[in-house]
Amino acid sequence: MGDVDEQMCADKPLAVEHHLYEFGSLQYHIQSYVSQANQVYLSISTHILSIGSSTLHEFPHYTLEDVKRICHEVVQIVEPTKPGYQLTLKLDFTKIPHKKDAVKIITKISSLQSIILSTQLRELLKNVHDQEISQGTYKPIKLVYHPNEPFYVIKKPAKLTAVFPIRFKEHSDMVIAKAFFQELVDVGNSGVCARAPPCCWSPIPPPELRGEPMRDLSTNGGFVSFELSARHVEGKKLDKTVWNLLNFYALVKYHVKSTKGFVQRRMRSRLESLVEALHHTNMEEDHNVKKVTGRRGVKKLIKFTRNAILKKRWNLTKKIKRIRSRIRIIGFRKFQRRWLKLPSFSSVMSYQKLDKS
Amino acid sequence: MGRRAMNECGVYVWSFRMCVWKFKEFIPVLQVDPLSSTDLAFTLSMGSSVRLYLTCIRNTLEAAMCLQNFPCQEVERHNKPEVEMKTSPELLLNPVVICRNEAEKCLIETSINSLRISLKVKQADELENILTKKFLRFLSMRAEAFQVLRRKPVQGYDISFLITNYHCEEMQKHKLIDFIVQFMEDIDKEISELKLSMNTRGRLVATEFLKQFI
Repeated sequence: MGDVDEQMCADKPLAVEHHLYEFGSLQYHIQSYVSQANQVYLSISTHILSIGSSTLHEFPHYTLEDVKRICHEVVQIVEPTKPGYQLTLKLDFTKIPHKKDAVKIITKISSLQSIILSTQLRELLKNVHDQEISQGTYKPIKLVYHPNEPFYVIKKPAKLTAVFPIRFKEHSDMVIAKAFFQELVDVGNSGVCARAPPCCWSPIPPPELRGEPMRDLSTNGGFVSFELSARHVEGKKLDKTVWNLLNFYALVKYHVKSTKGFVQRRMRSRLESLVEALHHTNMEEDHNVKKVTGRRGVKKLIKFTRNAILKKRWNLTKKIKRIRSRIRIIGFRKFQRRWLKLPSFSSVMSYQKLDKS
Repeated sequence: MGRRAMNECGVYVWSFRMCVWKFKEFIPVLQVDPLSSTDLAFTLSMGSSVRLYLTCIRNTLEAAMCLQNFPCQEVERHNKPEVEMKTSPELLLNPVVICRNEAEKCLIETSINSLRISLKVKQADELENILTKKFLRFLSMRAEAFQVLRRKPVQGYDISFLITNYHCEEMQKHKLIDFIVQFMEDIDKEISELKLSMNTRGRLVATEFLKQFI
């Protein structure tokens, strides 16, 4: 846990109190006092695995024995437990070794939940031999981890079958979960996970569950079954298998929730692209009109408008008049009319009609 | 053959009036089969792809989208889309239903100043059903962003558009039709992609879960 590690690495003693919640109605409480700098109190509240209709309010003794064995020097069980929690542990940081061993011990403490669950299920499965035998097979064992989510374990001579009745409140959740179960069956039957326990899904209860109360067998998501063989429960694999089975419901619900979030994100991004396509239909945004740019020489010719020509002619006339007014020469007027008259320029914009001849 | 007829390819036939007769020259695969003196029937061959279905819708919209401003005849200084009010039958044109198959169809209702297009999207299985419902409801709730989208679809259909003469004045008609046809294609494509993505995610999660047992 990050909080435990942080507390260990802190230079100054800190008063810490944290409440942590995990998916599956799991609560942690971490507390440390300034007066007891190297000691942290860790409390845990979780559902206790029970068989059938009986419910337990505290952990059985074999669970507490396994918890003590985590690291008996560092971990001590505190009696009485903190109110509202089933177990309170006292962690002594002075006895935790440094470097790599410290990480191992902290990782073991962090997996407290899995240790509690695995010990309970392991003991229940060990006591299966005491169960009555009916029609050549053992009677199904009903295990209740969450209040409304029981599952069944059926022991057979060569294998163990775990059956999970699936229920969802919303129809869309059930459809998404069914698609997931279909993929689970396909992957289990493929060569990729050949050594994994075979998985199957059926809309009706399997024949082994005949005789169970209808209230527990009425579902809308069908039944998922895993067939466990000896190789899945031997040695270190037993804890992993037990952890996976007990958290199967949590996995399915989390997958459905994250799938719905994924669909929502996709829809939002698609909405933006569809709205953008509509905005291009607006008339003012029609950029299909092409703009033609001419050469610089053509632009100069275009500037020779009628007004420009008339203005130039007037300026020249004015200049000549100014010259004329200074000196008066007899006969110059005739000479001026004949030789100094300005030629009329034809406009570039207008055209001259050619004679047909 | 009655009002609901089956041609040699097994496609349902819906009937509509003479004003749509001229579309026959644009769509060579259409076969005209008059059922009665007042009704005409069009059939779409089963072998035609979605392209022909969309072309038929496009041509129908091009003919139907001739809208003009028309104030309300019953209330002074009011201007309402007549296709929604349906108070004056003389202002309404005959509705047209274009079916690709039983699960996929398009209803086009026209009036003098407004046009309503309702679409039913194909849904092959339960997963496509919920994805289509979720997606189209998501779009309908944000109808103000689309301007031409209706907040609630017409009964029996998945999504509806309402186009008025004001929309035709603000936007170009042919581009509006392009948008609707493109919207239909995009919806189908998006539903298929969503389904594929969900199955891929499920497969990945299932693989990782089963690997823990190995």
